[in-house]
Amino acid sequence: MQILLWAECQKLRRSNILMLNAFAIIFIAVIVLIGGKTTVNGVDFSESSGWYMATTLTWATMFVLPAMIALLGSYMICREDQDDTAKSLHLIPVSKAKLTAAKMIVTFVFSILIYLLLFITTFSAEAVLHFSGLSVKMVLRSLKMYLLEGAGVFLAVSPIIAIVPYMKKSYWLAMLLAEIYSFAGLFMSMSNTLKTFYPITAVFGVSGYYEASIQNRICSAGVLLLCACLAIILLIRLNSSQKGKIHDEETI
Amino acid sequence: MLKLVRIEFTKLRRKKLLWLMLLSAFIMPFFAFLYFCYFGETGIEPVAFYKWSAFGFTMFIILPFVLGMLCTILMYNEQRFDMLKQLWIVPVSRLGYFFSKFFVVLIYSVCFMLITAIASVLFSVLPGYVVFEWDSIFFLLKKCLEIALFTAFAMLPVLAIAAVQKSYIMSVCVTLIYAFAGFFMTPINMYIHPLSCVSVIIARNGDIPGLTLPQTVHIPMALLCIFLWSFAATLFAMVILSRRK
Repeated sequence: MQILLWAECQKLRRSNILMLNAFAIIFIAVIVLIGGKTTVNGVDFSESSGWYMATTLTWATMFVLPAMIALLGSYMICREDQDDTAKSLHLIPVSKAKLTAAKMIVTFVFSILIYLLLFITTFSAEAVLHFSGLSVKMVLRSLKMYLLEGAGVFLAVSPIIAIVPYMKKSYWLAMLLAEIYSFAGLFMSMSNTLKTFYPITAVFGVSGYYEASIQNRICSAGVLLLCACLAIILLIRLNSSQKGKIHDEETI
Repeated sequence: MLKLVRIEFTKLRRKKLLWLMLLSAFIMPFFAFLYFCYFGETGIEPVAFYKWSAFGFTMFIILPFVLGMLCTILMYNEQRFDMLKQLWIVPVSRLGYFFSKFFVVLIYSVCFMLITAIASVLFSVLPGYVVFEWDSIFFLLKKCLEIALFTAFAMLPVLAIAAVQKSYIMSVCVTLIYAFAGFFMTPINMYIHPLSCVSVIIARNGDIPGLTLPQTVHIPMALLCIFLWSFAATLFAMVILSRRK
């Protein structure tokens, strides 16, 4: 597994996807900062400490980051078929299940890193804008929220990433699904029940972005674990169906 | 040009995803239906319903995202299979090639918004939230067509980026950021981002009540902004495509 993880990291290092994502994250942070300069009824939102870190987290999660994480995951899985390297990997032989698991682990780490980068960007901006208004407690709470969001969003989109190999190179659809899925979170947050059970809004409950009872948090965490289980089942089924295909070809 | 557009559509005929992407036109009408169902309101102003179903997130997020994906799909396959060399040999002009793709985006945008309009009427009239009136339906159709037309032009920068990139990752990321930026830039300055300008054109003469704009509505300025971005995007695509052998 270690070799597979190392190989996946090497493949990513050559691709410009990481740089693009880093650029996108910084750009999102800049856009929200500019957007925060809006003055409504004489109140400049960006002047209150903590507002920027919290707002960027919400909007980035609702509109951009789940789709980006799904894109990276599906890109990593699809590229073996797309570049026709899957055959060579089977000849080595590399277990398809282990390979997909390695790709999912890398996507998970990437998801956390992407949120960490967003945190560093927003924290730096907050520190420059109003350092005196920041407390250690607030910063640590935000850091915890960002890291939990990173892990939670990965779990929430993992079924979408796992569906991609079934759809044969239809990473476009994965991307579209992830975007609609995260966007729908805006409306799901209107109802308390849906807010707890809808995976994207459940992430906010687990991370502590909004106040939720212990039961609700447990339910939200359960929903996210269910998503992860669904992704694992899909990947196991994929592996067994491919083994079946290879066996059939050998028999013929 | 008509021949090129027809060829583009023939190529797309095999792509089932494009039909699936059209289904996303139902998202906001459905959420508008849920929203009014949640508050249990009936006899609402048609514009209030349409503001949710067609003039809000559909205009700012869903349509730009779908069109951005379409732009990437249209350009990506030719780049991937290295078809451009053959097209230049035929010869197909760079401008003709670029605008044939744009016309596909434009037609798709119109179809998307027409579906949104039909879905809005169905989700508002059938449950009895809105009283059936031809005036309001014509108003909705007019606004939807305007959104479709101007958003297609506003997406030209994404089409240009997709035309010059061999990978789809960059154009997809640009699409996400571009739509996100349009949404966030509107309250600051409506005349910088083309998608913000579309909202200015749609909300002119106070046509959409409750939509607060931070600056005075100046239609020529909004049109100029869209034109400048479109012109710059076309120029950029032409320069890069002519340099490419």
